[in-house]
Amino acid sequence: MVEKNSQDSPVETDGGALTQAAQSHRETNYLDREVNLLRPSTPFMREHLRIVWTGFILWALIVFGPVTLTYLAPGVMTAEMPVLGFPLHYFLVAIGAPTGALLLSFWYARKRDALDEKYGIDHATTQSNADGDVAVAADGGTNE
Amino acid sequence: MTLGAVLQSGLLPEGLNVSFKLAPAILVAAMLALFLGIGYAFRVADTEGMWVAGRSIGNVENGMAIGANWMSAASYLGMAALIALSGFYGLAFVVGWSTGYFILLIFLAAQMRRFGKYTAPDFVGDRFNSDTARAIAAVTTFLIGFVYAIGQARGMGLVGLYIFGDIGIPGMSGYQSMVILMMAITVGYLTLSGMLGATKNMAVQYVILIVAFLAGLYAVGFTQGYSTVLPQIEYGAMVAELGSEFSEPFVNESYYLWIATAFSLVVGTCGLPHVLVRFYTVENERTARWSTVWGLFFICLLYLSAPAFAAFGTDLYSENIGAVYGDPGMTSAAGDVIVVLAAQLAELPQWFVGFVAAGGIAAAIATTAGLFIAGSSAISHDIYANIINEDASQRQQVLVGRLSIVALGVITTLAALDPAAPIAALVSYAFSLAGAVLFPMFFLGLWWENTNRQGALAGMTTGLVIWLIPMINEVLPTYIGTGEPYSATLAAAVPAIGSALVAVPIVFVVTIGVSLATDEPDMATKRLVRQCHSPEPMSRMQSAEEVATTDGGEPVSDD
Repeated sequence: MVEKNSQDSPVETDGGALTQAAQSHRETNYLDREVNLLRPSTPFMREHLRIVWTGFILWALIVFGPVTLTYLAPGVMTAEMPVLGFPLHYFLVAIGAPTGALLLSFWYARKRDALDEKYGIDHATTQSNADGDVAVAADGGTNE
Repeated sequence: MTLGAVLQSGLLPEGLNVSFKLAPAILVAAMLALFLGIGYAFRVADTEGMWVAGRSIGNVENGMAIGANWMSAASYLGMAALIALSGFYGLAFVVGWSTGYFILLIFLAAQMRRFGKYTAPDFVGDRFNSDTARAIAAVTTFLIGFVYAIGQARGMGLVGLYIFGDIGIPGMSGYQSMVILMMAITVGYLTLSGMLGATKNMAVQYVILIVAFLAGLYAVGFTQGYSTVLPQIEYGAMVAELGSEFSEPFVNESYYLWIATAFSLVVGTCGLPHVLVRFYTVENERTARWSTVWGLFFICLLYLSAPAFAAFGTDLYSENIGAVYGDPGMTSAAGDVIVVLAAQLAELPQWFVGFVAAGGIAAAIATTAGLFIAGSSAISHDIYANIINEDASQRQQVLVGRLSIVALGVITTLAALDPAAPIAALVSYAFSLAGAVLFPMFFLGLWWENTNRQGALAGMTTGLVIWLIPMINEVLPTYIGTGEPYSATLAAAVPAIGSALVAVPIVFVVTIGVSLATDEPDMATKRLVRQCHSPEPMSRMQSAEEVATTDGGEPVSDD
């Protein structure tokens, strides 16, 4: 069954000039595709998981890398840093890890937004899609 | 374990000026009045508003609420304490409590928002179609609130001593009297406010606590000549003078315990009910993602500063009071107020020290409020209204909710009168629990549609048991025994503070194994999971369940 949530979306802004990705998004019924972390079943999920796993590996290196290196090679890792005066391992753990996770989070949120754009997904018009009853979409954000 | 052994010395922080102080007392009273006022101004009438703030909260505001909800006495006081007392090992807490948000962001935040229910037990109960699973999750939520709040009560009691002095309830020590007073204030405050305008309040609480913490840090650093514009980096130059205990790796605790602690705190972050509920309050999944990024940013402001505060406090302590390390060294009670102590020893004005202390109280109250609300809604919504009395009226639910808040307050107070460990260690027990029992259910429940009811029940039970083993082995003796673990080998292999490192892989294996050995979940459940991952935008008030069953008007084809 290849058919998506199909009360034809009221606004087709890109008048037919859909990208390949957006086309495949339109043709996918996500409720018919399996969710499996290790076996992504849709193009969107495949691309998304590539970002997720890349981020996860970098995260693991940033978080557990310095402390493990300190365990394996304490001499090198505890050397004092020039200018700042920190022992290297202390700096990498106390400042490197939290900052690294913050930058990775920013990177992920940007990547995911870019992915949404590539697939023609727009969260600003959430009111109109997927909810057959709501005819007016323009109020996106006022209180009920 | 050195952590548990150092204290039990009457819990009167040496060096702290314990006496009633008018200006700081007025500050604390004014702060509580402000919270109540904001709660009143943004009060809500319906359950949707009460529990998830009408799903109307934006990026930055929710980020601040994540920050306030998240940063408790354990962040404000306990982290600096552990860094001062346990040196490099203390950094495991900085790392675990901050970097866990990335895992939450990539694996859970948006999917949780799409799921769109009210509480964590709701997710477990609905995803696995099981009232038993719901009940286990609710009991776990309640337990987390209890264990977590012991640390908060301890923090409030210690800091309260600076502000209110020894109020001297007969038969109680100064610390114990203060715990009772502060918990009475907290429960009274919660009963008055409910979750009234809680999210608006959390944004304000965040501002108060971060301003108090950073102002304290800058003032101490500047007046003592430690730092100028960026104390978060400048303390590096003094690390060498603080003694090898402050920075040398693995002298206090082993590499294994370091990893176990950090890992437990990461998965605990991803499993804590009062953290997840923040994602239910936002407009859409994109906001859920970006507010996580903002939340982590706001958290990092404090987490990058805490080691600097610890360094300043350690130096001031050794100059003014005595050696920090060795015998007798600094007690854990003094460690737990090192932030306030540093401001006091730097001879800053009394009202300013009081402001720093008030920040700690704001942090503790904000988090206790979040925990008690989560714990009491688990009892009233998930156990009482869903299982015991399905026809419960709103009135009955609210009554049960209030009663469970009072009950939580009473047992927390009792446990905090003679706490088993420093604040951050107490709190980390709750993280191990959340990581061992709830995190695998959230993770597998959202990322593998074939996880079924039997798997979830087996997994959660396993998680609870593995968490209980070190609690009985290691923590119970501090209340009823000699304080030494029954089995030292077991304590080394499965430490209470980091038991999730052992528990999580086992729970995953058990859950997956049992799920594979039993029937797959029905199509409705699978569609529910798929809807959580579909990139198709959803309307603000919808939950994944609604979309998955109606499919936007299409008949549900059975295939």
